[in-house]
Amino acid sequence: MDRNLQAPHVPQDGPPKAGSAVSLADIGVGLPILAAFAVIAFNVHSNMLAAGIQPGFAFLTQQAGFDLSETLIPYGADDSYLRAILAGLANTVVVAAASLVIASLAGLLIGLLSVSASPVARYLALAYIELFRNLPKILVLLIIFVAAVNGLPTIRQALVLGPFTISNRAIYLPWLSQDPRNTLWLVASLVLVCALIWLWARHATRRQALTGRRMPVLPVAFVLCLTVPAVLALALGAPLGLSWPALAGFSVEGGVALSIQFCTVAVALGLYHGAQIAEVLRGGIEAVPKGQVEAAAALGLKGGQTTRLIVMPQVLRTVVPPLNNQFANLLKNTSISIAVGYSDLMSVAGTAINQTFRPLETMLITMSIYLLLCVALTGVLNHWSGRTRAREGRSGR
Amino acid sequence: MSGVTHSIGFGRLSAWLLRQLSRPGASLLSLASGGLVLAILWAVADWLVLSAVPPLADPAACAEAAGACWPFWAEKSRFILFGTYPFDEQWRPMLVSLLLLGLSIATGQMAVSGRWPDMRLFAGLWLAGMAASFALMGGDILGLVPVDATKWNGLPILLILSTIALALALPVGVLLALARYQTRHRLLHRAAGAYVEIMRGVPMVTLLFVGVFVLPLTLPKGMAIDPIVAVLIALVFFHAAYFAEDVRSGLMALPAGQQEAASSLGLGFWQSARLVLLPQAIERAMPALVNSTIGAYKDTSLVVILGLHDLSATARMAFSDVAWGNQALEAYVFVGVWFLVSCSYLSWIGRRLAARATQGRKRSA
Repeated sequence: MDRNLQAPHVPQDGPPKAGSAVSLADIGVGLPILAAFAVIAFNVHSNMLAAGIQPGFAFLTQQAGFDLSETLIPYGADDSYLRAILAGLANTVVVAAASLVIASLAGLLIGLLSVSASPVARYLALAYIELFRNLPKILVLLIIFVAAVNGLPTIRQALVLGPFTISNRAIYLPWLSQDPRNTLWLVASLVLVCALIWLWARHATRRQALTGRRMPVLPVAFVLCLTVPAVLALALGAPLGLSWPALAGFSVEGGVALSIQFCTVAVALGLYHGAQIAEVLRGGIEAVPKGQVEAAAALGLKGGQTTRLIVMPQVLRTVVPPLNNQFANLLKNTSISIAVGYSDLMSVAGTAINQTFRPLETMLITMSIYLLLCVALTGVLNHWSGRTRAREGRSGR
Repeated sequence: MSGVTHSIGFGRLSAWLLRQLSRPGASLLSLASGGLVLAILWAVADWLVLSAVPPLADPAACAEAAGACWPFWAEKSRFILFGTYPFDEQWRPMLVSLLLLGLSIATGQMAVSGRWPDMRLFAGLWLAGMAASFALMGGDILGLVPVDATKWNGLPILLILSTIALALALPVGVLLALARYQTRHRLLHRAAGAYVEIMRGVPMVTLLFVGVFVLPLTLPKGMAIDPIVAVLIALVFFHAAYFAEDVRSGLMALPAGQQEAASSLGLGFWQSARLVLLPQAIERAMPALVNSTIGAYKDTSLVVILGLHDLSATARMAFSDVAWGNQALEAYVFVGVWFLVSCSYLSWIGRRLAARATQGRKRSA
């Protein structure tokens, strides 16, 4: 009797523990997978040894021996495979950044046209979206590449359009003359201007939260953009001369050259993803109920204020997650530039495979880099957009 | 004001004019884009008809003409479709293309109508279609002349690599989604999750490289694999991850009561998945699945990077011919029209399904 009335033993240290993490069924599934991996690893090892190759990553320090058509970081045929991969990575990042800018601009323009008051403009925008959504990106790239190579003049008859010199090998722009002080000035101004604008914007937001008064942000940013570089130029004593591209024999000297491969990849991916971004924007803008705009008008907000304070925050909320997705896709899609011979990460990897016959190691490295890039990009974008959304949520209440 | 215009008798016209004048921005935009539309239409018409070389004209005229070279299409269409497949045997790739197109369109129509036949029969038909495609293309049975896989070009290779890869990827994707949905076997849950996320984080081109270069290494000594089969396997594993994510989002959208009700009826995991969860989840995921299908179908043309000759590669081969060196645009327009038509059909399915989904939601609300 007494024993029955006794309170059962209850552990005092927190909730009951879950059962062991690995069950019998897990082992039943896990073992065959492990066995398959073991067989594959054995096969790979014996196949590679049979081909006279010792598996491993030591080849990365060997001399690559192939040249890349264009590199952002210094690279020559004498450098190692590791450096070649890094040069390819830099090229991938640059072309992704360029096409991201083009895609955003095209997407914004087409997206706004697709909700404009003019029916003709709406149909034009819809036709653009449908055209690019129904064509493979590789076909778009190949068409633009063929059109550029066949349609643009050869380098000896290069077209000079204001600051641009356009040929079917590259597009040349004037650029700061080669001087270490110029490079330093450029980097320093960029960093400083961005940092100062960011600081001022944060200050302005805090002031508004405290006092309710809006401070000028755009005019200040404009002034900063003008004064900071000027002051820096004086302080550093940078000569700031421009080097203009000029035809010299069979090539163009001076300025900076954007190869036709780079330009076509950037434009093709820009146009292709521009259509997708436009579609996302259109969906987001159409999802804002009409009553919101009418209510804003009833409160006496002007057109610009309505767009900035009422429509845009709601559009951003629905649009930002799919946009982040688009940007990640764009980054991955730069790998199609191997089709036109732009030396991006993928084409460096392809060359390395052909030369070393180490597909396993090379692809492991390449895929890890793409995965890391993708995770980093989506991580940064989600972090940033999460903050914007959190801010909207607070001010919305 | 309206009275005045009415008395003149140009009521609607002047009302329209007044409306346009009251919002100059929109009218200017209309004018500008109208001009652009006319310019584009004129350029297209000029290229296609006015400056074009008619189909039966002498192909030599194409070199000077500013417009399209119709003789190129008349001469090279068959080459772009079937490539270097032996000329007398080209009824075989044509039959394969028709077979795969027929199966795909039948599937699409069933998806639109929402009426599915017996699943086993349907899957059996697809499997038979796949086997028949490979048998017909390769030959060497039933007295068919054997044809080397390097000569399988153009449309059939595009259709084999897209429809067959997608048809095989769907069941794999559903299994992956179930593995990730269940939480009882955590190892399996995590493994499926990691697999899906890794696949979705790398470009498709890298997977194709893995298929062509790494996959042969993993086979026992002495075994070889055809690049087409290697690419097919790589595509199945790649698309499966995207399908898995679509199906999983459909599963996650189901009310928890469905699973609980199925369990309380005494259904086991597989029974509840097959009879209760998956039908609803796939129904919900249909628009997303169609979107993934369109993307995957378009991306199939990336195999040109690996040296497989799908439509865009045969197009390039067609204008690499010295006699037709200037007809690159014509060749790519041919391929572009094919993709525009086929993708428009797929988008149409997607729109119908999305419309049905909203209708269903309204009805049940």
